[in-house]
Amino acid sequence: MLFRKLIRTMGLYKAQFISMIIMIALGIGVFTGFNMEWYTLDVNVNEALEESGFADFRLVSEKGFSAEERDKIAAIDGVKRAARYLSVNTTVKDMGVDVLALTVTENIGVSGFYLMEGDKYDPESETAIWVSDKYADANNFKVGDKITLKYKDSEFEFEIRGLVKSSEYLICVPDSTQLMPDFDTYGYGFITPKALEKVFGAEFYTQINVHSDMEKADFIKAADKALGVTSMVLSKDDTVSYSEAQGEIEEGQTMGNILPVLFLAIAILTMVTTMHRLTASEKTQIGTFKALGFKDKRIVRHYTAFALFIGVMGTILGIGLGYFLGWFVMNPNGAMGTYIDMRSWTLYMPWFCWIVLVIIILFLVLIGYLSVKSMLKGTAAEALRPYSPKKMKRMRIEEKKFFKRLGFGTKWNLRDTLRHKSRTFMTLFGMVGCMVLLIGCFGMNDTLNAFVDSFYEKAINYELKINLDTENITNEHAMEIAEKYQGDWCASMSVQIGEDPYGVEIYDTPHDKVRFIDDAMETTTLGDDGAYICERIADELDLKEGSSLTFSPFGSDKSYTVTIAGVTRAMAKTVQMTRTYADKAGIDYIISTVYTDSTNIESDPMILNTQTRSAIIESFDVFMELMVTMVAMLVAAAVILGIVVLYNLGIMSYTERYREMATLKVIGFKDKKIGRLLISQNLWLTVIGVMIGIPIGYGVLDYLLTALASEYEMVLVIKPLTYLVSTALTFGVSLLVGLMIARKNKYINMVEALKCAE
Amino acid sequence: MNIVELKNVTRVYTAGDHEMKALDGVDLTLEEGRFIVVLGPSGAGKSTLLNMLGGLDSPTSGTVVVGGKDISTLSNDELAEYRAETVGFVFQSYNLIPTLTVLENVALVKEIATDPLSSHDMLRAVGLEDHMKNFPSELSGGEQQRVSIARALAKNPKILLCDEPTGALDSETGVLVLKLLLKMAREYGKTIIIVTHNQNIAKMADTVIQVKNGKIKSCTDQENPLSADEVDW
Repeated sequence: MLFRKLIRTMGLYKAQFISMIIMIALGIGVFTGFNMEWYTLDVNVNEALEESGFADFRLVSEKGFSAEERDKIAAIDGVKRAARYLSVNTTVKDMGVDVLALTVTENIGVSGFYLMEGDKYDPESETAIWVSDKYADANNFKVGDKITLKYKDSEFEFEIRGLVKSSEYLICVPDSTQLMPDFDTYGYGFITPKALEKVFGAEFYTQINVHSDMEKADFIKAADKALGVTSMVLSKDDTVSYSEAQGEIEEGQTMGNILPVLFLAIAILTMVTTMHRLTASEKTQIGTFKALGFKDKRIVRHYTAFALFIGVMGTILGIGLGYFLGWFVMNPNGAMGTYIDMRSWTLYMPWFCWIVLVIIILFLVLIGYLSVKSMLKGTAAEALRPYSPKKMKRMRIEEKKFFKRLGFGTKWNLRDTLRHKSRTFMTLFGMVGCMVLLIGCFGMNDTLNAFVDSFYEKAINYELKINLDTENITNEHAMEIAEKYQGDWCASMSVQIGEDPYGVEIYDTPHDKVRFIDDAMETTTLGDDGAYICERIADELDLKEGSSLTFSPFGSDKSYTVTIAGVTRAMAKTVQMTRTYADKAGIDYIISTVYTDSTNIESDPMILNTQTRSAIIESFDVFMELMVTMVAMLVAAAVILGIVVLYNLGIMSYTERYREMATLKVIGFKDKKIGRLLISQNLWLTVIGVMIGIPIGYGVLDYLLTALASEYEMVLVIKPLTYLVSTALTFGVSLLVGLMIARKNKYINMVEALKCAE
Repeated sequence: MNIVELKNVTRVYTAGDHEMKALDGVDLTLEEGRFIVVLGPSGAGKSTLLNMLGGLDSPTSGTVVVGGKDISTLSNDELAEYRAETVGFVFQSYNLIPTLTVLENVALVKEIATDPLSSHDMLRAVGLEDHMKNFPSELSGGEQQRVSIARALAKNPKILLCDEPTGALDSETGVLVLKLLLKMAREYGKTIIIVTHNQNIAKMADTVIQVKNGKIKSCTDQENPLSADEVDW
C-alpha cells in the first residue's frame, strides 16, 4: 500500500521530482563527463605511447650520430634501448604544398609505429613506406599506391605498404606555431634504414632515441660523459606530442575540478531545500501514519525512499549523460580526435568517480532521512499538526523611513525572501551559477578569439613562409632569397638555458612581414637594445626587463649573455631579438626562414619547403570551431541549470504562498498583478545574482587561464557584449520561469484554498 | 432597493461520472442595508451561494445580479474588479497575509480599490490601534478576525460576505466579533450576509434564509431582531 502512495506522491510532486532528477543528472553528468575526458585521454595516450615505443629521451645533433655513438649511449647503465632516428620534412610530388615528415628508426621498437592496415614492417625493404593513416585518408592514398617525395632537388618513389599511427606524431603538427594538425597538408611516413641508405647514399641520423627510466639530469650527465661532448637532450616533456597531450590532461583535470563542483553543489543544495519542503507539506500525512500506528522506522523508510529514488535515477541518467559528454569530446571524429591521433578511444571512468557517486546517493538519502526525522519529532498529535513556518519577526530594516515608503509588493517580496532564507539563497545560487557559467563560456570564447586574432591575424603579415636548408645554406644566400622576394627573415636555433631547451629567434624585418605581440596582445616592434623573452620564460626563469640571460646553442660550446629589453607573448617558448642586437652581442646564427608576400617561388636547392598563410590559418579555424561547440554545450547547460533551479524553487514558493495568493485574488487582485509580484521577486534576485556572478565568473576564467598558462600565453578578454549577453540570458531565464509560474495564477481555486483552517 | 437578485441559479459540480447539484434553481432577492443570515446544515449549499455572490464561483446556469450588475457572465479580470469594488470578505480562517503587518494587511486594499477608507480609521474602529505594527501571528484569533473585518470594510464595499466568521473563535470572542460586525455595518451602511450553522446568530438577523439540498427552503424577514446582548449564547 505504501508503495502505491510512494508512486502517487511522486506524481503529485512531479515538477519537483523531475527537476531534482534533472539537477542530479546534470551535476553527475558534468562531473563524470569531465573526469572521464581527462582520464580516458590519460589511459589511451599512455597506451598509444607504449604500443609504438615513444622514446623517453632524444639526443639531437644537426651533424648526425654515428653507430659508435649510439652504442655508447646504449651501453649506459639504465638505458634499455637506444636507436638512431631521423625525421626530415619532404614535399609530396603532385600534391601542392603537402609536407610529409619522412621518418626512419633503426629499431622499430623505439619511436616506431602501430600498424592499422597493410603489411607488417619489413626492415629489408628498400622501396616500402608506411604512411600515416590519417594523411592517407585525407589525401586518398591507399595501400599499394606509389608516392613520390622530394627532398631538396632529389625525388624518390616509394610504395605504400601499410597505414600506421605513431605516438611520435601523436599531435601531428610541423612546429609549435601551428595549433591543430592538418592532415590535408601535413603527415608522416616511415621507411627502413636500408631505404634511407639508398636514398641518401649514406647513413644519416640526427637523433638517438632512448628508452630509459633515468632522471633527465642523470641521463644528460651520463650521455655527455659517454659521448665526451655536451649534447642537446630532449625529454618527453620537451616534445610537442607528449607535453601537449599532458597539457590537455591537466586542462581536463582543472576543468573537471571547477564546473562539476558548481553543478553538484547546486544539485545537492536544491535537494536539501526540496526534500525539506516536500516532507513539510506531507507533515499531516506523516502524523496520520504515526497516529495509525506505523512505526517511525517504517515512515522514515517510506520517505527516504523518495530521496533514494531521486538519487538512483539521477545517477543513472547522469552516468549516461557523462558517457555521452565523454564520447562527444573523446571520439576519433570528435573534438579531441581532430587534435590527438591515437588508435584507441575506449572511454574510462576514474575509480574515484564511482566512490563519489555512491557518496552522493548516500548523502541524498541522508538528506531525506533528516528531513523526515524533523517532521516526526514529538508525539503523534504534534506530528499531526500542519507544518508551520517560522513566525514573522520585525526586522531592523523596517524601522527605517525608506522602508515605510516602499510599495506593498516590495514589502511583501522583501519579507518573503528574508523569511524563506534557504529558498532565497538557493535561487541566488542558481542565478550566480548560471551567470558564472555564461561569463566563463563567452569570456573563454572572447579570450581565444583575441588570442588567435593577435597571433595569427595581426602577427602574420606574410603570404608564404619559406623553410631553408640550414645544414647547407649560407647567410649570404639566404639574404639573397629574402631580398629577391622582398621578405623578412628569421634565424631560429635551439638553445640550452640551465638544463632546459628553449628557442632563440633572430629577426630582420624591414618589410614588416612578421610582427610581435606585446603584453596587451597588441603588435609591437623589437628594439635593438636587448633581447625579448616570452611570458612563460619570464615566469619560469624569474626574469624581467634589465635582467641578463645566458644561453648556449646545442652542439656548440659557445655561450652568449644577453640583456632583457622586454617581455612579449609568443606561441612557442622563445627568446626573440633583432638582427642588429644579435650582431652586437656576437651571436652566430644561420637564417632558417624567409617570410614573403610572393607566392611564385623559383626552385632552389636550398629551399626545403614552403607553407602558405592560409594553410596555417586554416588549422586555427578547426580549433575555433571546436571551441564554439564547447561554448554552445556549456551555455546550454547553464541555461538548463538556471531554468531547473528557478522552476523548482518557483513552484515551491508558489505552493507555499498559494493561500496568500488566493487571499489576494479574493480581495480583488487581478492575475496579472499577482503574477507581477511573483516575477519581480525573481527579477530582484536575478539582479543580485548577476552582480555577484560577474566578479566570480571573471575570477573563474582567470583561474582557468592561469592553469592553462603553461600551454598558451593568453590575456583574459571579456567583451562588453559578453557581459550584456550573459546578463540578458540570465534575466531571460528568470523571466521565462517567472512567466511559467505566474501563468498558474489563473488556476488558483480560491474556494478550495481558503476553506481549510490555518 | 434590491441589492441581490438571483434567478434560477444552478451550480453543478462534476467529479468523474458523478454530478452534484450544490445549488438547484435558486431564486432570491435581497434588500440593501440589511443584516442577512444564511442557515443550513453542512453541504446544504450555503457556502456555494456565498461564493456566487462574492464572484469566487460562477453559476452553471441562471443569473446573479449584484448592485444592478449581472456578474454571472464576467471575465476573470472583470470578476477581480467586482471583488475589489463591490464585496468584502470575512472568513472563518481570517486569511491574513502572514508577511504583512496588521496595518499593511488593511492598507493592502488601497492597491486595488478605487474609493478605499482610511486603514488607520478602520483599525481604530475595530479597536486595534495599538497593534498596527504587529504581524498577524502575534495576535489572538479574535484580534486577527477584527483585522480581517477592518480589511473587508476598508475597501468600502457595498456588501460584506462572512463565511462562519465566528467559527474558529470561543463564544465570548465570537459575540464581540459579531457585535463589531453589526456596529460597523450599520455605521457604514453596508449589507451583511453571514453564512453559519449557528442558530443563535440568526436571532439577530433582519432576514433569515434557510438552505437545504441546494434549494431555498425559506426566506423570512424578522420584525424585531435581538441584539447580541439579548441572545442567550
